[in-house]
Amino acid sequence: MITQEKYRTRVKELLASNSVKMVIGYKQGSTADRRRPLFVRSFEEADELVLDSNCIGNLAGYLVTEGLLSDEKRVGIFLRPEGIRSINILAAESQLNPEQIIIFGFDTSGREVKALQGEQAEDFSGLIDSLKEKPPEKSSDALLYRIDQMNTEERFAFWKDEFSRCIKCYACRQACPMCYCRRCIVDSNQPQWINTSSHTLGNFEWNIVRAFHLAGRCVGCGNCDRACPVNIPLRFINARMAQEVFESFDHYAGTSQTQEPVLASFNKDDSETFIL
Amino acid sequence: MTRILFSDKLDNCIARWRAAGLTVFGPVKTDTLSSYAAIEHASDFDFESVLPDRSIKDLFFPQTEPMLRYTIKKRAIDTEDFAPPNDKRIIFGARPCDASGLAIDDSLFGWDYKDEYWIQRRNESVIVSIACTKADDFCLCSSLNLAPDSSTGSDVLLRPLENNKGWVVEELTDRGHEAFLAIAELLQDGSDPIAPIAAVPEKFDLDTCVAWLQNHDNFESKFWKEISMRCIGCGSCTYLCPTCHCFDIQDEGDTYSGIRRKNWDSCSFALFTMHTSGHNPRATQSARWRQRIMHKFNYFPGKFNVNSCSGCGRCSRQCPVDMGITETLQKISTLQP
Repeated sequence: MITQEKYRTRVKELLASNSVKMVIGYKQGSTADRRRPLFVRSFEEADELVLDSNCIGNLAGYLVTEGLLSDEKRVGIFLRPEGIRSINILAAESQLNPEQIIIFGFDTSGREVKALQGEQAEDFSGLIDSLKEKPPEKSSDALLYRIDQMNTEERFAFWKDEFSRCIKCYACRQACPMCYCRRCIVDSNQPQWINTSSHTLGNFEWNIVRAFHLAGRCVGCGNCDRACPVNIPLRFINARMAQEVFESFDHYAGTSQTQEPVLASFNKDDSETFIL
Repeated sequence: MTRILFSDKLDNCIARWRAAGLTVFGPVKTDTLSSYAAIEHASDFDFESVLPDRSIKDLFFPQTEPMLRYTIKKRAIDTEDFAPPNDKRIIFGARPCDASGLAIDDSLFGWDYKDEYWIQRRNESVIVSIACTKADDFCLCSSLNLAPDSSTGSDVLLRPLENNKGWVVEELTDRGHEAFLAIAELLQDGSDPIAPIAAVPEKFDLDTCVAWLQNHDNFESKFWKEISMRCIGCGSCTYLCPTCHCFDIQDEGDTYSGIRRKNWDSCSFALFTMHTSGHNPRATQSARWRQRIMHKFNYFPGKFNVNSCSGCGRCSRQCPVDMGITETLQKISTLQP
C-alpha cells in the first residue's frame, strides 16, 4: 500500500507539471484478484491506480502502440524487472527512445510490494546485472524438469500434443512486448509463408517461428503463457531458448540499451558446435 | 410426476446410445483444458465446472476444415469435395448458453448460402442440455433475454435434481424424443425435488444498449477508443465465443495440387479487413472492437432478429487484459442514448 500511495502521488506530480502525458499502470479488474491495464491521464484516473502482488502482466508492449511516442512526449509505466529489461530490448532494437519513458519500477515477494530505485531505464542496470548473476535455474519447474528428461521423440510427442490445442488466435503474439512487427510473417499472404490452418503443420510452423524470433529477446515475463486461452505452456519454450543463448553466447536479454541482438550479431568467440 | 434420468443409469444410457450408433460427447476436463469431447463412460463427464473453456461451436464449426482437394493438369483442374462428416452424435450436458449459441448461428449458416458442413452436423446431432445450477461472475445469460435453464437450441433439457441424483427430462424436439426412446426404459417416474437453478444477476439493460448502438451519432463516439484502449487485438474472445462464426478460405499446397480449407478468422485482426491496395477500413483496434459489439447487438439482430451473444461470458473470462462484452455493455447502458 505504501508503494501504491507513493506512486500515485508521483504520478500526480508528473501530470501536474506536464512531465508525462500518460502513465500506464494497473487498476482493479473484474474479480477480486484480477488487475487490468489502466491509462492514467487525470488525477481521477491516478486515484484508480492499484499496485499489489496481483499486478503481474508486463505492460511494456503498450509503449510500441503506433503513434503513442511519436509526439516525443514522455510516458510513465509501471514495470517489474522483466518489464524494464523489455524496455532495454525495445530501445536496443530502435523501437523507442528510452528517455521518453519514466519507469515506476516495482517487484514483489509474496504479497509484499517494493519500489525499485530509479526512473530511467539505465537507473536499473545494477539491478539487472544482479539478475544476470542468477540466471533462470535449470529445471526449477517440475514440468520443465520432465521435459528436460525426455528424449527427442518424447519431447516431439509432448509438444505435438500441446500444440494440437492451438487455435491460432495469436494471443501469445499480441500479449508479447517483443512482437511489435507492424506486419507479422503470418499476416503476410502474398505469398502465404505460414499456413493459417491450425492443423499440426500450421501449429508447429507458428510456434517454432515464434520461438526462434524470441531467442535472446524473451525476458520471461509470462505474458504469452497467461494469454494463451488453451493453456499451452509457452513459457517453457522461451525459457529453454533463453537458457540456450545464455549457455552458448553468454547472452542475457535486456541488460542494456546497447545490447546487440544475439541472432543479429557475431563474435569470433561464438560457439561453433552447430557448424558441421 | 415427472420423468427422471437417475445419475446411476447414465452409464447404461451411454452404452445404449453407443449401441444405437451414436457417438456420445459432453463436457470433459483434462489437466490443461476443458472442452466438449467424445466420451465412453459417465465418469468421463465434467459436470462440476461452470462451463467448458472451449465452446460447443468446435463440434460444428471446427477451427480448420478441408473443403476440397484440387489437382491442376495441363488442360483442366480436377476437384474433389470433402463431404461433411456423417457421424450421428449426442451431446450430453451442453450448457444452455452453448445450445442457444448454436440456434443463433443456425440463422446465419442456413441463410442465403446453406453451409452444408454446419447443417449436416446440426442435423446429425442431438443436443441434451443441462440447466445450470452454478454460475460465476462472468455469466451473463440473464442480461440477454436468456436464462440458466433456457431451452433454445436444445433437443432435450435436463433439470438437475438435488444432491446430484439425476435429472428431470424434458423432451423438446422430435430428434430429442427419438434419442430418448432408446433409453426410455431406463427413465423412471418420480417427484424428487429439483435443485434451484443458478442465480445470474442482470448486468445491464439490453434495450438501452441496443438503442445507443442503433443511434448513428454514436458510431464515432470517443467511447469506443476509451473502452478498447487496452485491447491487444488477439482473437481469443472471438475464437472462444460460441457464436462468432467468421472464417477465411485458404488454398494450401504447391503449384499443382492442394487442399482448400475453411479456417476460423477474427474481426480482431488487422488483416481481416485489409484491402489489396493496403487500405484498411478498420485501421484501429477500437474500430475492430466496435465492429464486434455492433455486429453482435445491432447488425446481426437487424438481419436475423436475434442477438449474436448467448451470454456465456467466455470473452470476459479469458481475456488477457480483462476486457469483454459485459464491461462494454455495462458502460454503454449508462451513456446518454
